[in-house]
Amino acid sequence: MNADLEKLQESNKTELERRGSIFNIGAPATEAVTIRDQIAVGFGDGTVRFFQSGSDPKIVKAHKGVVLSMTNYEDHVLTGGDDGRFLKISSDGNIDEIFNFGSKWVDCVASHKDTKVCSSGKTVYIWTKNKDKPQTLEHQSTVAGLAFDNKGKRLAVSRYGGVTVWKLNNNKWTASNFTWKGSHGTVTFSPDTKYIVTAMQENQIHGWRINDKADLAMRGYPSKIKSFTWVGDTPYLVTSGSSDAVCWPFDGKEGPMGRKPIVVANGGKELATFVKALNGEKAVFTGFTDGSVLLAEIDESKKPIMIRSSTGSEVSTIAISSDNSQILIGDMKGSILLSSLWADN
Amino acid sequence: MENTSQVPVTILTGFLGAGKTTLLNRILTEQHGRKYAVIVNEFGEQGIDNDLVVDADEEVFEMNNGCICCTVRGDLIRILSGLMKRADKLDAIIVETTGLADPAPVAQTFFVDQDVADRTKLDAIVTVADAVHLSSQLVDHHEAEEQIAFADVILLNKVELVEDNDIVKVNDRIRKINPFAKIIKTTRCDAPLDEIVGLNAFSLDRVLDIEPDFLESDHDHEHDDDVTSLSFVSDTPLDMDKFQDWFGNLLRTKGQDILRSKGILNFKGEEERYVFQGVHMLMDASPMGPWPKGKDRSSRVVFIGRDLDNMNLKEGFENCKSA
Repeated sequence: MNADLEKLQESNKTELERRGSIFNIGAPATEAVTIRDQIAVGFGDGTVRFFQSGSDPKIVKAHKGVVLSMTNYEDHVLTGGDDGRFLKISSDGNIDEIFNFGSKWVDCVASHKDTKVCSSGKTVYIWTKNKDKPQTLEHQSTVAGLAFDNKGKRLAVSRYGGVTVWKLNNNKWTASNFTWKGSHGTVTFSPDTKYIVTAMQENQIHGWRINDKADLAMRGYPSKIKSFTWVGDTPYLVTSGSSDAVCWPFDGKEGPMGRKPIVVANGGKELATFVKALNGEKAVFTGFTDGSVLLAEIDESKKPIMIRSSTGSEVSTIAISSDNSQILIGDMKGSILLSSLWADN
Repeated sequence: MENTSQVPVTILTGFLGAGKTTLLNRILTEQHGRKYAVIVNEFGEQGIDNDLVVDADEEVFEMNNGCICCTVRGDLIRILSGLMKRADKLDAIIVETTGLADPAPVAQTFFVDQDVADRTKLDAIVTVADAVHLSSQLVDHHEAEEQIAFADVILLNKVELVEDNDIVKVNDRIRKINPFAKIIKTTRCDAPLDEIVGLNAFSLDRVLDIEPDFLESDHDHEHDDDVTSLSFVSDTPLDMDKFQDWFGNLLRTKGQDILRSKGILNFKGEEERYVFQGVHMLMDASPMGPWPKGKDRSSRVVFIGRDLDNMNLKEGFENCKSA
């Protein structure tokens, strides 16, 4: 009987679950970033763990509470925590405290080449190479998102009432404000840097065409959008927050203005909570509220592939190794799947 | 998400010097083995005895949802979402507001933000009032009225410094604003803690505890913008469509002036009791099981707000009676 049950459970597993490794960390996976052939994951117990195929993860006790934010920086990761610390961590476990904000949280981090950035409260702090003291940028409300453009010349800071885009000229930052009523969270530049887009407190995303500040309001979601990712050459901005991955086209002069999104990877009654592009392909991984993950092409006529079956806990992060060989999926219960994407690896 | 996983949140309001920090430290030190997170504001009194204290700026944000009075505490949404990522489970969260805070945005946050509502639940709004100064604060600061109006529990503190007949006066003044809050008279906030935390006061089934014999409102208040309460009872079953039309329209047009509303409703042709409770324009409503056998099926509603006399509430309610 038990053997039959085991067989049944085994047959319900996906191909990637069968050949991958599963780790139960016991704390929510909050963020994941790729550094070369490793994937660093931040957790709700304050640890950062470096996962690599074929070996046990390296555990770094980084923060006292939750790893709230993480990004890659050269061969390191930068993390912000609810213990008020902004850290630079190497994969061999070396921790360098860049700054300690005490009882204020470090909500957001960002980097570009040798520039390290974090936000705490309403202030953004910028450390450039060879300077001990950070430059500071003040905002009218708490900073909820940070993003550099691909050249590192502009820094978008989202907050209540819109986004401040700071431009670097002769070592001085000047502000340009993009306004839209409501609270703005995670922010991103389009790959061609013509647009900025935010996930809002309401169930919608908002974008601006940078050159004329034209507004793009993308509504109709049944829940908050917690995650978005740029996919393919078009490119599409693929978003969570619905029962499908909702893909907005950003080609042409008008981008998604007046156009309908493509919807792929239907999760039935489950809502998408995390989306991640498969680099170099017109395809996206979509994680759902029940822990399942689908891989879908941005093509409504194609069937998605089941990558991970339900765990009962919402997918909170997905990362792909830089050579596209490994995928890591984490959820709010702290279950991690690390697997090779391709069968012959 | 099932209810058991929701972390209860207690909101602590009250003017500076009323005794909020005293109460907070009692909750934190007397309930051994329980893990609390305390969210404080930068203007708060110092000396809080807890491992997990989070500094917050009270950021009151408007929701971009077309609802003009719908404000939320943006900082709370961010902090609660961060706290829910912790590996160790919290038994409860306490939010201390600044002395001059309006409690409405805090309460509305739990109605409006789905993530907050999924993972936490508003346990109660507890207001600490200074028995010596409350009467003058009510005259000088509308925030004091709002803190009394929104409260589920009011600690009338420092009663040892006030004459007995003055306590009766201030008690009556509180009752006129808020007929359903529990008033506990204290010295150094020495109330039993089980009357302050773990109340589940915002759950709909607690609406059933509304007493049918409300205080009759007398209309002798001095200013039109004073916060008062009105209540109505009907033994005639109500017409559901008529009630929904009237009540929906009322909250849409007058929701800014209606601070809180609660009610138990007996609809014609329905076996179950319907209960609702609202904060300004936002409302929760649900059927709540059959009427108890052998008890009167009477509808009862309570409104707390400003300018209630000009809303034709009695007439509107009467018109909902089924023919």
